[in-house]
Amino acid sequence: MIASVAFRNFKALRSARIDLAPFNLVIGPNGSGKTSLIQAVLRLRTLSRLPAADAPAETEPETAEIVFRFNPPHDGLEATLTCRDEDRCDLLQLAPLPAGEGADDWPGLRARLLTSRSYLLDARAIARPVYPVTSDELATDGGNLAARLAGLHARSPESFAGLREEMIRLFPEYADLVLDPARGTFALRLSGGGDPVLVPADEVSQGTLYVLALLALAHDPAPPAIVCLEELDRGIHPRLLRGVRDVLYRLSYPADYGHVRAPVQVIATTHSPHLLDLFRDHPEEIVIADKHGRAATFARLSDRPDLEALLAEGGTLGDLWYSGILGGVPEES
Amino acid sequence: MNGRPPRLALLGESLVDESALAILVEAVLGRPFVQVQPGLRARGWPSVLQILPAVARHLHFNTDADALVVLVDADDTEPHGERHEAPGYFHPRCRLCQLRAVFRRATRNLPPARGRERMLRAVGLAVPAAEAWYLCGLDEAVGEAAWIAGREAGRPPYTRRELKARVYGTDRPNLAQAVAGATAAARRHARDPRRLEYDFPGFAALAADLRSWDIINR
Ligand SMILES: [Zn+2]
Repeated sequence: MIASVAFRNFKALRSARIDLAPFNLVIGPNGSGKTSLIQAVLRLRTLSRLPAADAPAETEPETAEIVFRFNPPHDGLEATLTCRDEDRCDLLQLAPLPAGEGADDWPGLRARLLTSRSYLLDARAIARPVYPVTSDELATDGGNLAARLAGLHARSPESFAGLREEMIRLFPEYADLVLDPARGTFALRLSGGGDPVLVPADEVSQGTLYVLALLALAHDPAPPAIVCLEELDRGIHPRLLRGVRDVLYRLSYPADYGHVRAPVQVIATTHSPHLLDLFRDHPEEIVIADKHGRAATFARLSDRPDLEALLAEGGTLGDLWYSGILGGVPEES
Repeated sequence: MNGRPPRLALLGESLVDESALAILVEAVLGRPFVQVQPGLRARGWPSVLQILPAVARHLHFNTDADALVVLVDADDTEPHGERHEAPGYFHPRCRLCQLRAVFRRATRNLPPARGRERMLRAVGLAVPAAEAWYLCGLDEAVGEAAWIAGREAGRPPYTRRELKARVYGTDRPNLAQAVAGATAAARRHARDPRRLEYDFPGFAALAADLRSWDIINR
């Protein structure tokens, strides 16, 4: 989907560029540009709704700009967002590149970009009953999950069955996911013999609700082209993070798990060294956001030539990050 | 241990390791065992080395475990060679030697508890990762000797990622795929573990530890 994003004079990102993979886990201190990256993707989506500006605008040298390039079949197009100030990036320009395909297919690219979604999940919103149901799209905070699950069950029973099966595997304490569309809610049935015990959504633990919302995304037969997830590890037990990674890989690499659909580009942020530990074999999926004084930059962990040598000295990836030698840690006064 | 099934605790990095290790241990012992405190986990190296003394102490005083079985990946560190078995020898870059030494130090001064003098241990070293064991017998190019020769030539013959892709069909297996692949391979070796012992001295060391208990206890 998005191949790279380059920032100029955008908030702390004075001059920063990052290539994006199908799956991207962004680590770094607060204020290092992790959220700016996600905001840039959302801004691109918003401006895609409007007609693109053709004429190059007069730009001041200090004007903030965000330049996007794309993967095939749209690698022949470049999209530039120009900002009047930090909060008003309201000009989208498209330009053909000398090489690559799809330079004349802005409508096709635009249709994909318009499906991009960003989530900062909130357990209370996820558990809230949705009634009456007006839409079944998962809300930014995960609200509407009950409607989303009911919609999936009605439209794609096999996808719902896959979701249910993966949920039970991740949380063996539950034996079933029970929908209650009449009340706009759902419940989980506890495993074990005796009378069935239903745990209503608002009594299910936060971490379980977050994972359930992620599963609803991962088992969507027509998911967004890009999914951004802030604070991915929030409320989730460190031992469950492997399951969370599995769920997101299902989005980004569908063919590896037997799904026939386009891959979803995932951009997730985390502060968890335990989650980072799981990417030892895939450093190309880790983006380190760093801040030196007031300037922020991005780097790929796989671009670090001595990474294997550092890991060979001992220490998990999370330990190395925490120590500060990989960058992406807060500055201390 | 005579008569009753041995009570063993298994320490690995994931449910995948634990599931396959349980099958291999039972095959080498030639009889079922009771798993004490399932789900013990270490967060990779060197976390397993750091946590081992606390795990050993807990198992010694708070459980009736007869022994602790530990499995780690060697990654790019020294494989455990024959000369490491010489009395008093210790290779500082060999994870198997390191784990044995730490276990010894951690348990040496513990008073008897739970009706036993001390806990036994068995340590295995998967070179470079457990997925190489799972390919043993299927892929002639995979073995400790090939790995060592490649390392010495400065060109390791395969990476962890490649091994995973060959075992699971993807180098990003989810937990269910990984457990299924690892346990299928472990069951294949369980029918006859000799090939795995021959090609992987890091497994042979584990098997020798397990068999030494039988010599003591039968
Ligand atoms: Zn050794």
